[in-house]
Amino acid sequence: MQHIGCQPPLNSKNKKKKETDYFADNQLIEQHFTKPGSKGVWIVKMAYPRTHNPFADEEEEEEQHRSSGGFDDPQERGMSEAERKQRFLQQEVMRTAKSAVVSSQRSLGLIYESEKIGTETAEEVIRQGEALKRTERMVDNMGKDLETSQKHINSIKSVWGGLVNYFKAKPETTKPPPEEPVAYQASSKLQNAMSHSKEHEDKYQASHPNLRKLDTEGFGASASVDDSSSNQNGYPANRQLRAAHQTLDNNLDEMSLGLGRLKNLGLGLQSEIENQDTSLDNLLGKVDKMDLKINKTNQQIKNLK
Amino acid sequence: MDNSGKEKEAIQLMADADKKVKTSGSFLGGMFGGPHKVEEACEMYCRAANMFKMAKNWNAAGNAFCQAARIHMQLQNKHDSATSFIDAGNAFKKADPNEAIKCLNAAVDIYTDMGRFTIAAKHHITIAEIYESELVDIEKAIAHYEQAADYYKGEESNSSANKCLLKVGAYAAQLEQYAKAIEIYEQVGSSTMDNPLLKYSAKEYFFKASLCHFIVDELNAKLAVEKYEEMFPAFSDSRECKLLKKLLDAHEEQNCEAFTEAIKEFDSISRLDQWQTTMLLRIKKTIQGDEGDLK
Repeated sequence: MQHIGCQPPLNSKNKKKKETDYFADNQLIEQHFTKPGSKGVWIVKMAYPRTHNPFADEEEEEEQHRSSGGFDDPQERGMSEAERKQRFLQQEVMRTAKSAVVSSQRSLGLIYESEKIGTETAEEVIRQGEALKRTERMVDNMGKDLETSQKHINSIKSVWGGLVNYFKAKPETTKPPPEEPVAYQASSKLQNAMSHSKEHEDKYQASHPNLRKLDTEGFGASASVDDSSSNQNGYPANRQLRAAHQTLDNNLDEMSLGLGRLKNLGLGLQSEIENQDTSLDNLLGKVDKMDLKINKTNQQIKNLK
Repeated sequence: MDNSGKEKEAIQLMADADKKVKTSGSFLGGMFGGPHKVEEACEMYCRAANMFKMAKNWNAAGNAFCQAARIHMQLQNKHDSATSFIDAGNAFKKADPNEAIKCLNAAVDIYTDMGRFTIAAKHHITIAEIYESELVDIEKAIAHYEQAADYYKGEESNSSANKCLLKVGAYAAQLEQYAKAIEIYEQVGSSTMDNPLLKYSAKEYFFKASLCHFIVDELNAKLAVEKYEEMFPAFSDSRECKLLKKLLDAHEEQNCEAFTEAIKEFDSISRLDQWQTTMLLRIKKTIQGDEGDLK
């Protein structure tokens, strides 16, 4: 889009061109073709006189034809240098616009793919969170069971121990009810993140229309130039360009929405994983303590033998 | 060479263990340290099974584990028995799927008896996977996945339950049990759309539910899409919803090319997977079928 204002790619092999701002003027394009190019051709012909042609001038013309980008229409030859050049540049513009559209399609596809992977990851992460909660619950249960067995061992070890047990409070034997899954705790953090990101999204959207203005400006200028210079081929190219630009704009909109969603997903995943990290650490501590207790109990039972 | 040696050793161990069990059965053996002998035999079976595993003789390993499991049951070691059955099942998985399923079923029974529903559910999934891949018995696979989902729900593991339910739904739709599939997808969709992290996948589920509606009846699909849009506003922004609307229009006009065109356009950005392609083909057939009737 922006490239319309800047230098178009040089395609021809042995010409040196100096272009002014191509679409700056509304009149017919003035181009400065420095003649060294044609001289160069002529000089080449002199250096390698394969076809020592007295009609070197005509051949020069043909060389210029061929080297200016491969126009095949016979009617092209009738056009002036400038028009041919313009047509070539138009085609370049179309080509670049088309490739931009295609690449934006690809990026859109990639964004959707990442979103899919993200959602699957999210499901997996939540499942893991639930498993972690379950594990923690079970470890707590194990702890309680160990306490009960400890009491039994105490009573077995000695009569005195049994009496002590009688006076000690009875341990909790009921299992705690299943707790709510982790998701609820995560949600408040996520909602904060979401509201934050929504603000940012608005800012992002505000910046986008600005970009669009620049687009249509350059676009409008080229449109008028096209109309004035080459009437036959101007319109269709214009419409195609417009369609291409519109598709590009739509794709970019979708891409920005998709990226916004991806960002939220990422933030949500991050907070969920942070929660799971802390619960993992807790679990680790609990399991270590449990390990020690079990070893101790085992020892005691072995000693009882 | 080492492995074949191991195998001989393993066979020897099995024979010894058998003898031990037999001797302990007799009256005298029962009196003088019978249980010890049985435990020892049990251990020997396990060791023999491990050696068979090293020698890659899966059938023999499975058998040895099964023996060990039965002895554990005799000794009232439910946990160990179940674990041995699971080991047997894993060994048989590589050789004889039917035996594997038998062992895994036995293990699952023990676990449900003990009230360990989570583990039982996990093994139901394993069984279902065997039915899916090796024995290709989709009905039974569905039954096991459903059982697993129920157990997970009972244990408040909703995401695991949803995972199983989704598989049930996919297979049910493949077997043309559309009502069941629709119910499952709607249920999963509505439960996930509230969760801030899972809501990104909700639109996928509503899309699948709409496809199933579509196969049954076009009007149903239209009503369904409207209902989902109401329930879940983000659904209307999604490309899936736009695709559905295009397909509905194409179906109304009986326009096959528009149908294919819309699908191609969607596919160019995000691939359609196997299941969705099958469903869409079925819908397309209904269009062509209608055309044939008109002619």
